[in-house]
Amino acid sequence: MIIYDETLFIYLSIKLAFNLVKKWGFAMASIAIPRTKSKKKMTAVDRKKRRSETWRRIKRNKLIYLMILPGVIYFLVFKYLPMYGLIISFQDYKPYLGITGSEWVGFAHFERLFTSPEFWMIFRNTLGLFALQIFIYFPIPIIISLMLNEVRHSLYKRGIQTIIYIPHFMSWVVIVSISFVMLTLDGGIINSLLETFGFEKINFLMSAEWFRPIYIIQVIWREAGWGTIVFLAAITAVDPQLYEAARIDGANRFRQMWHITLPSIRSVIIVLLILKIGNVLELGFEHVYLLLNASNRSVGEIFDTYVYVAGLQQGQFSYSAAVGFFKGIVGLIMVVIANKLAKAFNEEGIY
Amino acid sequence: MLKKKKYLLGLMLALLSFVLLACGNESASSDKDESNSDDPDTTETADDSNEPFAFTIMANLHTPEVPTETVLEEIEKLTNTKIEIQWVPDNNYEDRLNTAFATNTLPEAVFLKNQSTFIQFRDAIQDGQFWELDPYLDEFENLKKLKENVQDNTRVDGKLYTLYQGRPLSRQGIIYRKDWADNLGLEAPKTVDEFFEMARAFTEDDPNETGTDDTFGITDRNDLIYGAFKTVASWFNTPNNWGEVDGELMPEFMFDEYVQTMDYFKELHSNGYINQDFPVTSKVDQQEFFKNGTAGIYIGSMGDVVSLYNDAVTINPDVELDVHNYVEGPTGEYGIWAIPGYGNLVMFPKSSVETEEDLKKLLGFFDQMMTPEVMNYAYWGIEGVHYEVIEGRALPVDDAALTDREVKPYQAIEVGEPETNGRYEGYFDYEPKAKSEDLFIDNENYLIEDPTVPLYSETFTRDGARLQQIITDATYQYILGQIDLDGFNAAVDNWKSQGGEKIIQEFNESYQN
Repeated sequence: MIIYDETLFIYLSIKLAFNLVKKWGFAMASIAIPRTKSKKKMTAVDRKKRRSETWRRIKRNKLIYLMILPGVIYFLVFKYLPMYGLIISFQDYKPYLGITGSEWVGFAHFERLFTSPEFWMIFRNTLGLFALQIFIYFPIPIIISLMLNEVRHSLYKRGIQTIIYIPHFMSWVVIVSISFVMLTLDGGIINSLLETFGFEKINFLMSAEWFRPIYIIQVIWREAGWGTIVFLAAITAVDPQLYEAARIDGANRFRQMWHITLPSIRSVIIVLLILKIGNVLELGFEHVYLLLNASNRSVGEIFDTYVYVAGLQQGQFSYSAAVGFFKGIVGLIMVVIANKLAKAFNEEGIY
Repeated sequence: MLKKKKYLLGLMLALLSFVLLACGNESASSDKDESNSDDPDTTETADDSNEPFAFTIMANLHTPEVPTETVLEEIEKLTNTKIEIQWVPDNNYEDRLNTAFATNTLPEAVFLKNQSTFIQFRDAIQDGQFWELDPYLDEFENLKKLKENVQDNTRVDGKLYTLYQGRPLSRQGIIYRKDWADNLGLEAPKTVDEFFEMARAFTEDDPNETGTDDTFGITDRNDLIYGAFKTVASWFNTPNNWGEVDGELMPEFMFDEYVQTMDYFKELHSNGYINQDFPVTSKVDQQEFFKNGTAGIYIGSMGDVVSLYNDAVTINPDVELDVHNYVEGPTGEYGIWAIPGYGNLVMFPKSSVETEEDLKKLLGFFDQMMTPEVMNYAYWGIEGVHYEVIEGRALPVDDAALTDREVKPYQAIEVGEPETNGRYEGYFDYEPKAKSEDLFIDNENYLIEDPTVPLYSETFTRDGARLQQIITDATYQYILGQIDLDGFNAAVDNWKSQGGEKIIQEFNESYQN
């Protein structure tokens, strides 16, 4: 099976990179021990020796280093290099003056953000949608994979898998438009049905109450099937002997699932959860932006949409960079906390 | 084993270098593209020989597809230029404009879209990022003809930086189903009450005589300005953005007339005389309701009557439309909001137009554009192919798909208006369209102008658009009945406290001077 998922790719490359660093780090530490003991005595010869030691190591494992090279380059070019643009959040950036020529303003943009009355609203909304993603969306692919795993007829199983993947390839514009046509008051099918059965029409599109349910239902519809891929892959890796043993002990299907399948994929679940938490401030700009309107802005405006409007539509580059920067920091803190928690529960974590 | 490893290593290196090479090639080819657009060789040689002058224009695309170059080639031949047009869909013009500006990649000639984008660029203009045009215009016989009073509306600190694209001052009015009105014995509405009655009758009295309740009155969309709201507000004599009370300027939404308009819409909405989801309805969906015979009244630019009719008649051959402008408010007066005389503006960034000489060549091009020979190509296309001349006016051929594909987009690079650039006015064999042209002129007797056009407020330039969102949202919520007058006033207070107070103050200071 070809897995074409960016999250997974990033996860694997991080894992590989960290394992290498770990190994390398241990090696360095073992070399470093004598150094710390005889720090004063270290001569140029020692240093040279150590350097050549490192070189030898790299030479010996050159194939492995070569393998991580594309990943490293990817991260350097697309993730680290652009960070230099964050400088503009401390400047009054004027494009024609460039980063070197623009005036420095310190934390002025951050002050403006934190004192803006909209800040808490946006912060609350972002965390609100984040919570929906974690507590409602996240368990669903796991449940679906467990259910699919119990399906014995393999053609049927694969058929279902394929069908639930498909929405992932639709763009948000299409999904939001379909929902719009179904939910509109002017002849939408759902409101027409409500009317024929004698209920009041519901203003789904322009109400603050319905924004979150619609958001999460659309996320589930589009992503849940796709999300099962990783879990299904993890499940196939479970040792069949465990199931055989359990069956001999008289465990039924449900017990097997509870005591074997779930614990076996626990580490995958936790890693994906941490990644999800790190990614979570990416609530899908396009999706939320398409759903926003005058009536639901109070619950729907999130950092991404705010950055877009302030930065790209109104041309406040520095301010929107500051907002984006802040968002990134929140994401980083969350990943660190989640990882710490995972460690606390004796799981591996991502680093 | 070792050999195998080496082989693998070689393969990997080959792959890697292939990837890198591919990247390299791409950048090389894009470099080449760039050098094509402002090739120093061509500009240099243009001085002594007749090499065409090459440059790029960024312009608004109002049709779904980028046009063919048939017409452009004619223009290039006449003006001895090599033009590349970056077509940007009008819907996300602001994004692309700001992105290009942020990355310093604006082309030589940049169209701006409208007044609010112009306001956004004010800072950059004051910082001297665009060429000031006053010193040069006198050299150009045709550009000199551009109207002073419209130019004055685009001045920044008294200096001129733009060439404008003229538009009638007010094209707003209503387009309605004449056949429905006849069925019900209704005349064109003269007052807001008659208009309300028409909306009611179109909803409740079965105007299409099908015996079923399948119609409603007004079709509107998610746009308070170019949709129905601002035009109806004008009927109620609401000021245009800003109005004067006791010698002081106040924003429109602090006027009673604005609240009256909201109440009027609220009643239309709660009675079902307007599409219930209008705050989230797109222009396409809005027009669809009208074209397919679900709704009977469209408020907006009366010129749209042609395209509405062309599509509606394919669905229902018996459809009859008419246009109308004059609707009195409760005070017995009709008013209609005006634009500042321009639809779009073109500016010349110093970052891409590096020398005075190049600027003069660009202005030279627009000077030639302002002759009837060239402008008729840009606006109407090729005579005999895209239009006929009847009684000194241009009549586009019936094939709307052809003109949409080959001509219409180029209207976006017009400079001036027929009065100054001498192009043909339109000849309209469709009677309501001809009438709408007359009504544009009639509207000029009732204009409500925006007094802040020549004024400056720093806060408005920076935060105006963001603050306006508060009012726009509150207006919709009020119409939908989600907030009451207290809620609306709270939003106005919010607007004031977040910077509105300062905007009022700054505009008034600027107004007194």
